[in-house]
Amino acid sequence: MKSIKQLALMTAGLATLALSMPAMAQDNRVVLTLHPIDSDALIENFNPNNPTGPQQFVRDFAYEPLWIDNIWNPDNDFPALATAYEIADDLMSITYNLREGVKWSDGEDFNADDVIFTFEYAKANQDYPMGIDVYVEDTDTGSVVSAEKIDDYTVKFNLKEPDALARFALGGIYPLPEHIWADIEDPKNYANAKPVGTGPWTEVQNFSRSSVELCRNETSRYNEENAIDCLRFLQLNGNEQIIAAMSAGEVDWLGTGLTDPEITFTPQSEFNNYWLPPGGDVNLQINTTKAPFNDLEFRKALSVAIDRDTIVEISTFGLTTHTRFPIGTGEAYATWINDEALEPYAWLMAYDPDKAMELLDAAGFVDADNDGWRNNPDGTPISFEINIPNGWTDWINSGQTISENLQDVGLNAVVRTMDQGAWNDKARTGDFDSYIMWTNGGPTPYNTYNPMFNPRNMEQGRVDYQAMHQMRLPEVEDALAAFRSTADRDAQMEQMTNIHLAVAENLPVIGLFANPTWYEYSTRNFEGWVTEENPYVRPVVFEGTRERVIHALSLKPISR
Amino acid sequence: MLYILRRVAFYLAAFFVAVTLNFFIPRIMPGDPSARIIASFQGRLNEAQVEAIRASYGTTGSLWEQYIGYVGQVLRMDFGISTVQFPEPTSSLLFYGATWTLVLVGIAITFAFLIGTMMGIHAAWNRGGFFDSVFTPINVMLNAFTPAVVALLLFYAFSLQLQWFPLGRAHATGLSPSWDPQFIGNVLYHATLPVLSILIVSFGGWHLGMRNVMINLLNEDFVILARAKGLSDRRVRYRYVARNAILPQITSLALSVGFLLGGALVTEQVFNYPGLGKFTVTAIESRDYSFIQAQLLLLTMSVLVANFLSDIANVILDPRLRKG
Repeated sequence: MKSIKQLALMTAGLATLALSMPAMAQDNRVVLTLHPIDSDALIENFNPNNPTGPQQFVRDFAYEPLWIDNIWNPDNDFPALATAYEIADDLMSITYNLREGVKWSDGEDFNADDVIFTFEYAKANQDYPMGIDVYVEDTDTGSVVSAEKIDDYTVKFNLKEPDALARFALGGIYPLPEHIWADIEDPKNYANAKPVGTGPWTEVQNFSRSSVELCRNETSRYNEENAIDCLRFLQLNGNEQIIAAMSAGEVDWLGTGLTDPEITFTPQSEFNNYWLPPGGDVNLQINTTKAPFNDLEFRKALSVAIDRDTIVEISTFGLTTHTRFPIGTGEAYATWINDEALEPYAWLMAYDPDKAMELLDAAGFVDADNDGWRNNPDGTPISFEINIPNGWTDWINSGQTISENLQDVGLNAVVRTMDQGAWNDKARTGDFDSYIMWTNGGPTPYNTYNPMFNPRNMEQGRVDYQAMHQMRLPEVEDALAAFRSTADRDAQMEQMTNIHLAVAENLPVIGLFANPTWYEYSTRNFEGWVTEENPYVRPVVFEGTRERVIHALSLKPISR
Repeated sequence: MLYILRRVAFYLAAFFVAVTLNFFIPRIMPGDPSARIIASFQGRLNEAQVEAIRASYGTTGSLWEQYIGYVGQVLRMDFGISTVQFPEPTSSLLFYGATWTLVLVGIAITFAFLIGTMMGIHAAWNRGGFFDSVFTPINVMLNAFTPAVVALLLFYAFSLQLQWFPLGRAHATGLSPSWDPQFIGNVLYHATLPVLSILIVSFGGWHLGMRNVMINLLNEDFVILARAKGLSDRRVRYRYVARNAILPQITSLALSVGFLLGGALVTEQVFNYPGLGKFTVTAIESRDYSFIQAQLLLLTMSVLVANFLSDIANVILDPRLRKG
């Protein structure tokens, strides 16, 4: 009995001690807390091209790109370190006019030398990818051949082939200050503890393993309109912890997966808000080098055997959306879709198990050995796995629904979950049955279809996630080349329709649903958030959304 | 002495086997560290870049060459660089995680051992009495709970709903580690629920272990003799019975202390506590070879050292071993 008392006293003691502590010092700084990446501990590394964390903190905020494309409102985009660009008539080069009077946060001038240096640096350090598709002679890969200095504030990039789309990639170059980086010989191992950039927030303050702040750059041209003194990044991990942190007022801006937000999220705090606009498609990637997936009739049957209503409404908690046509990209690029041309293929997206069985019977996929499952026409058994990483709940649910749907029409399909390392590794080998898989996105549907149909992505041992189907479609390859080599929107539209038709006709991937774009925000401390009514930029907090700096700059503190 | 020497020889052999296994286990798993880095670019890399990354982050040389290099590293106490928390040296991360794990699991094990053992002595001495018939079954039940359930219940009730305790983390943001009372108080405050979640499920084990051994000893001749001699209750209870009954407890304690550095995975996840368990899971998921190797090595070392210490403690407490 005595020990129980001791325990009780001890706990009470700890709690009182903690509660009686003086409150943490208050300051008057305006701090926006955002959470672009989960981590176990923060690392003192602000290297803008290190993908395992730092670039989530410093890109866009401390290091600026040349140009900020406004993907949702292309006509209202944002010049950044460049003020104008011009694509040559032959599409073989792009010239950027750089902003004059910009200073690096250490006071040095920014000019064309920094941009040229950045290109040369990327070329010299291939294992330090800086987002520039540098042309490499040895392997004959890449597209940007050289960077030329025209004058102190004009830079011209020369291309390997005519490419009307190169400006999207080049605009996303984050120039490095030559006077700092020229001395760094091994950039990928460089921790860049004191970032020198041109963005609105460059000064690292209060670093600890559990939080770090990036504060106002005194030389920034944004300072007059910028109401935020510091961005704060917290070490947080796990959806429950992150949601709880927002509800408690510790975080303002998130991109965290939600399940049942009306129960788990909005009731937790009056300030909690979310908006989940549909993003890129999630597809079933099937290995078309193997039977039975190499049979078009089989793929058609797969597509109509899947009950997408159940997946959208139940398996993915009602947060995903339907897509109309079997083109693998869904509604993400709605303005590029020719409804009339694609209408004949709409039936492939509708649930019709009877039709599926009819197609399978007609193509010879019948139960030849009376084991209850259909066989290949040559009599060999059909049984395949749908690979999904452990813990990806919505995808595992979707996989379960798909396997039940397929079992209903006599196909022996099972879900196989595995740890992420194994899942990653297996994808590369080309030796698998099927995966549920996201699609890459970008400013135009080219960014989705190029990785999906580039033959280089289908080589054994280096199969890309997007090209796991491994089916070569020469008509798509040609149309992609034609798309890239013209700046004329109508001509591009025509090529895109050709691509859509070829995909719908051949079904290399089976479209499932459009993923939500994860976006949660708190109106406790700031106003001016992107909303469904005012979607001025994509609201994503992650790196890869250059607009996120515009979003942050648009926020104003609420005074209470 | 011979006993101790035999044990030392055994520990050296075990250490060598462990070092070798630590090298091969992460490499048997499919995947390698570069896969995660390449995947994070979502296809924006060209071939030359992919190859360059694989060469610099992946592993070069034959398995045998890598193994020799690794053994050399272990001997120099150099654990390389973490690929997940790049480019942080693995040793600094291990040290960081180990510190918080020691705080969390250390406090929990200490209290669980003391409370459980004391309760066990009390229950055994008054076997069938009120304390024994109430707390023994309760502790059996608590011991059967999993830390996951307890941690989630505590988190939900006291962090999320009542908001008496923080949601997680080892200390408030903005405080930097130091030895001043404010920081220590903050750490203890943050550790309260995580410690309780481990404590609640573990002290029952110590209680039962102690109680059962005590009861067996109570009927031994030397105890009956001691009582017959008219020694005080207290002296018989602690000097005669408890001292003997605690030997197996010490061995188990050594084992738990050894495994302490494995971290308390579930608790750390629920309370976002930056302990070794959490780091290890991430490292395994992303095939961070150097971290996995170093963490396994640390775990092996601590189990071996703790066992060695328990051997010594046993020799001191149990005169019979000194002759062996």
